[in-house]
Amino acid sequence: MYRIGIDVGGTFTDVTLLNADTGKYYTYKLSSTPHDQSVAIMNGTKEILELYNISARDVNYFGHGTTVATNIIIERKGAKTALLTTRGFRDILEIGRQTRPSLYNLFEEKPETLVKRSLRRELNERVRSDGSVAKAIEPKEIIAALEKIKQEGVESLAVCFLFSFLNSENEKAVEDCIKQVWPEVYYSLSSAILPEFREFERLSTTVINSYLGPKMKIYIDNMQERVKEVGVTVEPYITQSNGGVMSISSTVETPVQTALSGPSAGVVGAIYVAESAGFKNIITYDMGGTSTDVSLVNNGTAEYTTKRKVCGLPSGVPMIDVHAVGAGGGSIARVDSAGALKVGPESAGSVPGPACYGLGGDNPVVTDANLVLGRINPKHFLGGRMQIKAKYAEKAIREKVAGKLGMSVEEAAQGIIRVVNSNMSRAIRVITVERGYNPSDFTLVAYGGAGPLHAVHLAQDMGIKTVLIPSAPGVLCAFGLLTADIKKSYVKTWLSKYDEAGPELLNSIFKPLIKQGNAWLASENVPEANRKFNNIVEMRYIGQNYELQVSVRSGAISQSDFEELKTKFFKEHEKNYGYFNPTAPVQFVNFRTEAIGIVAKPNLATIEKMTDNIKKALIETREVYFAETGTIDCPVYDRYKIGQIDRVQGPCIIEQMDSTTVIPPNTHFKVDCYGNIIVTV
Amino acid sequence: MSIKFDGVLLEIIENTFMSIAEEMGAVLVKSAYSTNIKERKDCSCAIFDAEGNTIAQAEHIPMHLGSLLGMVRDIRKNYAPEDIHEGDMFIANDPYNGGGTHLPDIAIASPVFWENEVVAYVINIAHHNDVGGRVPGSNAADSETIYEEGIRIPPVKIFRKGQLDDDILRLILLNCRINEIRRGDLHAQFACNRKGIQRVQEACKKFGKTTLTAYMKELLNYSERKIRQAISQIPNGTFEFTDYLDSDGRGSAPVPIHVKLEIRDTEIFLDFTKNCPQVKGALNLTETALLACIYYSLKCIVEPSLPSNGGYYRAIKYKVEPGTLVACKDPAAVAGRTDTAQRVVDVIFGAMAQVVPKRVVAGCNSAITSIVFGGENPKTNKFYIYLETVAGGSGARFNKDGLDAVQVHMTNTSNLPIESLESEYPLMVEQYKMITDSGGAGKYRGGLGIRKDIRILDHQCIFSVKADRQKLPPWGLEGGKTGAAGKIVINPDSADPIILDSKKSNTLLAPGTILSCQTPGSGGYGDARERSRELIVLDLEQGMISRSSAIEDYGLTEAELSAIKIFSE
Repeated sequence: MYRIGIDVGGTFTDVTLLNADTGKYYTYKLSSTPHDQSVAIMNGTKEILELYNISARDVNYFGHGTTVATNIIIERKGAKTALLTTRGFRDILEIGRQTRPSLYNLFEEKPETLVKRSLRRELNERVRSDGSVAKAIEPKEIIAALEKIKQEGVESLAVCFLFSFLNSENEKAVEDCIKQVWPEVYYSLSSAILPEFREFERLSTTVINSYLGPKMKIYIDNMQERVKEVGVTVEPYITQSNGGVMSISSTVETPVQTALSGPSAGVVGAIYVAESAGFKNIITYDMGGTSTDVSLVNNGTAEYTTKRKVCGLPSGVPMIDVHAVGAGGGSIARVDSAGALKVGPESAGSVPGPACYGLGGDNPVVTDANLVLGRINPKHFLGGRMQIKAKYAEKAIREKVAGKLGMSVEEAAQGIIRVVNSNMSRAIRVITVERGYNPSDFTLVAYGGAGPLHAVHLAQDMGIKTVLIPSAPGVLCAFGLLTADIKKSYVKTWLSKYDEAGPELLNSIFKPLIKQGNAWLASENVPEANRKFNNIVEMRYIGQNYELQVSVRSGAISQSDFEELKTKFFKEHEKNYGYFNPTAPVQFVNFRTEAIGIVAKPNLATIEKMTDNIKKALIETREVYFAETGTIDCPVYDRYKIGQIDRVQGPCIIEQMDSTTVIPPNTHFKVDCYGNIIVTV
Repeated sequence: MSIKFDGVLLEIIENTFMSIAEEMGAVLVKSAYSTNIKERKDCSCAIFDAEGNTIAQAEHIPMHLGSLLGMVRDIRKNYAPEDIHEGDMFIANDPYNGGGTHLPDIAIASPVFWENEVVAYVINIAHHNDVGGRVPGSNAADSETIYEEGIRIPPVKIFRKGQLDDDILRLILLNCRINEIRRGDLHAQFACNRKGIQRVQEACKKFGKTTLTAYMKELLNYSERKIRQAISQIPNGTFEFTDYLDSDGRGSAPVPIHVKLEIRDTEIFLDFTKNCPQVKGALNLTETALLACIYYSLKCIVEPSLPSNGGYYRAIKYKVEPGTLVACKDPAAVAGRTDTAQRVVDVIFGAMAQVVPKRVVAGCNSAITSIVFGGENPKTNKFYIYLETVAGGSGARFNKDGLDAVQVHMTNTSNLPIESLESEYPLMVEQYKMITDSGGAGKYRGGLGIRKDIRILDHQCIFSVKADRQKLPPWGLEGGKTGAAGKIVINPDSADPIILDSKKSNTLLAPGTILSCQTPGSGGYGDARERSRELIVLDLEQGMISRSSAIEDYGLTEAELSAIKIFSE
């Protein structure tokens, strides 16, 4: 049987096809079809099946990563959405946290809200901070409001009342009325989407969900039709921002979960590849054309966050904590008015693109620097699909950088690389040192088209000792889709003092969460044996307003488990903040259950040992510039001809269709049985 | 030894210092106890060189730069170099002896040693909810001397060679209300500096002390070159502007603030000598606080991308008269300085508007409307203090409307979530919304102010307010109209609402009372009659302007209005 993963990006759609029996997998790239992503999905599926002569009926899993949700928000092309909220509070959506977007730039705008003010309707209702109802809601008033909104041509509704995370009665009353008078409309309740405290974040998340719902449904129905046309009979799964996948019906209910799913499949793929190679603590490093995404994986588990923003709008659903920085192959280098070299965040994009494309771009970018230094092969860019010219790159770097800094073209190009690496280091520092981790305890897993070009130098800057380059770094996201589990998180906020709580309280909160999770996994057709639950409590010292996550046993919680929680919390506090206070009172805030349906993982195919010398894989010897050595004759190898091998000394360049790996002087690498390059820095 | 500087290493070292300052900020925000630091991020972190020049500042609150600027200077004044040791940490808050700008901002500074020499200082500053004094929150606008404002701490060592001096800590804590939270916050500040020290030392090791210290100097030169270049693009000339504070904090007539500003080639001269003597109330500004306002304003207007180091200060010259409102002397009270600071920014903007009108914004809400509720929580029988600063409108620009409901200029603190507020304090929010018509009319409309109504639950509450722009509204530019002024009202919708003075401390509020805080909007830009029809209609539909404003300010007729779907509650 076969598994297909399709990842749709802005420029390319990547397809991976895995033979589940042999572990061998194939990749395929085609241009994306931004007007309707499902066209490329259909064609890509058809073409890869034809290419390897496989029947669509033999496909028993179809995973899809999409940026549709993200694009809907960026382009503000979602449903016309109305909000029903507590009387007096319609402007919370607009006031947000009352901060301005830039401290010094007087011309920056706040992100535009997804629901305009006239469509935010206030209802007479109120729940107090202890969950009691101060003012019950009148169905008559709800129905009148709904009728009015209906006349405005609204397509979707968001409902969010204060303290609904404690008592959802009033939101439920609205739901009853919607079902009664407007059953066909798409709606989300904040108590269902994110029953968690902090009203602005809960409201924003609920609104994003409603804004996405109707359009996502159209896209997904369409996509499913197209996949059926090709003859694939299984129902597709969609990647979520938490690194898991969900059925299409779950995705239509909570599309907000897919809003930042783009980079998450890559993280899942990186975890899988790294674990097979024996690495459980990794930093994932995905460098593309305009941006770099990094994330931290501790003991095989990605770090999660509920604090990310989608185009400036908070979304509180748990997501893989991917940190992005505007540094990529297309980042523009320039010398500012006072003589410092700046690289990015502006990007040359694909048109006019890097200077070396010769399409009229005269700004030097990171790719131009790599080309000038001999690290990229002008003849094999994107597998030879794109003609690039070093002379344009040289000219741009000479005029825009080298001349102004009084350097040679090579030194300037090397400078561009160092500055972009330093920007990326800063991103890695955010997810490591700022969270209490030491980068040298982690392996850097590099992917994306440009990751392997920079990874080893970046590791040198960060004090990272090992770098892993997967065998197909350019399509790791699509590969990750094949290994993702089915996953959904449930949360309950219940502020309670540790000293007044006990195992009974925790059990009574987790039991219904697990029940919900079980019901959902059943609806996703996950057999009981494959269901797993991760329980987490979020704790803090009383008076603090940030919580720390502590994991709890997923079965019945005993007194000793309960006591252990406090110790675990102290440890976590010390790790994050450098101290803990054993006598200060502690409280519980949120209780989370992650329901997981474990998907059978493929066994990766192994490659042969190289019996000959590495020379067998030699393509050419090329002049390459390294800071340590200046320009030297450097061997260039064909990755597809390198087998399993123990130790090869740098410097060298390793080329493959979807990426180029740079092994600098004074480092060496080996290739393991799965074809991963493992560099000792 | 001479070093040949290159633009690559310069950028990398600047990145390194910013990274360190940001990491310090992350440690401080996360490990602090009080909501004021954690949620509202009322804190800042910075790295200074051994001489006291700013090298990098993690930017949260521009106002804090003032305290940071004076701290190293005052440490060096009080301690001989041989008395400063590795592992020492200094604490200070006093405006006249410790570099501070008001007492609640407590700064902690640590020398960073490398190869037996001080190479840098790391400093952080955090606004503490209370440092004692006559009112809860230590922030009264109507105190007459600094002795009423809380404990004064000159620079003293709180750590000696790595050892915490518990005597000093106990002395400080005993002077603060709710001292267990103070303790937690101070520990967070210590942890923050320890991280900063470690990172600067790592940088010394990586780049070498000579290179690193040389580049610290070059970073300053770089930023000076950058601002001089930018100033040289602005025409020479002299420009004056005067704006007003509502009062001196003790009920006086409006107090003028004046600047004469001259652009001369690559430098800017600011003359603040024509200002009144320091005032009776707590509105006085220390000289370092004035500097923070000057540096903030000119960075915004002249070159927002300037690095956050002190090199650019060299192109800015200023003159003040000690003992005046904008450069006060001991023992003037200063707790309410923030509104004065905002007004200083306004006068600089007002002067610069005459030469570069497309680079400034019209008059903003420019008050730091602070409301402080205190009392005994009937549920816990413990004393509580809830402090909030409420944002308002930001001025319109030559090509765009102003931002609605944001913090402006010298502050950028967040609000406390309502669900957090109501869970922690015996208070209930009745409404939280933007105020229709509070943005000044213009071709581009000013941003709207905020109304936040809070009900007192089951206890008697002591309420203090410290605000401004309640008598004189924010000004418009190029023909734009003024925005609405702010006001503080007790029981606003009752038969007899009471309007409080903008600087009134210790008002007793009975259970059930509603306190309504209404912040100023901001000025418009350009003639309202030139506003596009489309934008006027949009504002009417969304309730940003009322029907009557559409008629009076924008000249719409009744007939035109009848075709528009005007916003209704």
